[in-house]
Amino acid sequence: MIKRLFDWLKQPLGLIAVGIAFLALFSLAAYGIFQSQQSPAQPIQFPHATHAARGLQCLYCHPGAARGPSAGIPAQAKCWACHQQIQKTLDSQLADTQFPLLKPLVAAVTSNTPLEWVPVAMVPDFVQFNHRAHVAAGQNCENCHGDMTKVTVAENPQVFNMGFCLNCHKKVAGENHELLVKLTDCGTCHY
Amino acid sequence: MIKPEEIKMSTDESGKWGMVIDQDICTGCQACVAACAMENNISFVGEADSGYGRSMHWIRIERFWEGEYPEVKMTPNQPMMCQQCGSATCEPVCPAFATIHSQAEQLNLQVYNRCIGTRYCANNCPYQVRSFNWRDYERPEPLPNQFNPDVTVRRRGVMEKCTFCIQRIHKAQDKAKSEGREVLDGEFTTACAQACPASAITFGRVDDPESLVSQLAHRGHGVKHLEELGTLPNVTYFKGG
Repeated sequence: MIKRLFDWLKQPLGLIAVGIAFLALFSLAAYGIFQSQQSPAQPIQFPHATHAARGLQCLYCHPGAARGPSAGIPAQAKCWACHQQIQKTLDSQLADTQFPLLKPLVAAVTSNTPLEWVPVAMVPDFVQFNHRAHVAAGQNCENCHGDMTKVTVAENPQVFNMGFCLNCHKKVAGENHELLVKLTDCGTCHY
Repeated sequence: MIKPEEIKMSTDESGKWGMVIDQDICTGCQACVAACAMENNISFVGEADSGYGRSMHWIRIERFWEGEYPEVKMTPNQPMMCQQCGSATCEPVCPAFATIHSQAEQLNLQVYNRCIGTRYCANNCPYQVRSFNWRDYERPEPLPNQFNPDVTVRRRGVMEKCTFCIQRIHKAQDKAKSEGREVLDGEFTTACAQACPASAITFGRVDDPESLVSQLAHRGHGVKHLEELGTLPNVTYFKGG
């Protein structure tokens, strides 16, 4: 039985079948890898570049980064504080034709349903990360999150793994032994 | 080859955080047990698995029998949790370095993501205070809403134990640092000490002679359990004071 299968595979038609099967598997794997590298779908394809280019500070929309563990994702009320004063948001005709990204925001505000943003930069549950300590230590947002003036929807410029954290922790501690002990202690992040 | 007489027990006083438990005022109400389970996302094991001795508590109230049958006397309630030993027996037996000594906080850490579940540490703990996640225990709605976001939710196959509420230690340190000061004594406490209606549990810095916990610990009649094993526990018990 198996010998007959091998004999069939060795003839030209069999070789073509093997080739097609290999290509199908390869493209499936490539598609899977491509999918896993995509940013998640957001309710609005939020253009970070546009906002950062107008001089908005990261901390204006993500103020939790300076105060506590979580940077926070702004509620629509924060968007609306500025956007209700912007003519192109209010003009529905203009929004229809030129600025389709604004339509979900207007719809969310008028129907009073929250925008469910999908977090992009995440660490596993067993990692306790505190934004405040990092901002207070003089780290800029772009050191971990990349330059937001260049991207639309936020994406991770690097993988947040333990090597990435520890490389920086060791560099910051330098010759300060006490700080190095604190910054490389397992209990500083894992509990 | 090391000869048995060459092995020295470490005797130096170490430790940063410590606890004093007054067994005379403990009523055994189990408020600390409940508070600990809430604070640290401890699973509810249920009747069936508890029957196999798989119940999960980071703190438990122990009582023992004293004397022979008709003249039986109950000993005082004894809250027992991880003693955060300075020379812990659980640490050297872990093949994955998942339970290690924190140099910064002088606590015994359990690193959940490193733990491979050999359970050597629990078998080697003289206080029997470690608990193992035998299953992913069910948490019906709306119980997941009361998860403490500062504590990892452990999965099946991971060992866990009392951390002296290290998340509260970090929170207090972070707050103190943001205000440019040191952590004050009594500024924060562990969940068990906070919940205790009789204030039988005191928590604080044992390396600070001014703190309440070290003043209580040095009052003289305190006992450290199984100290003769050389584990250097950081919890002091008072009984019959």
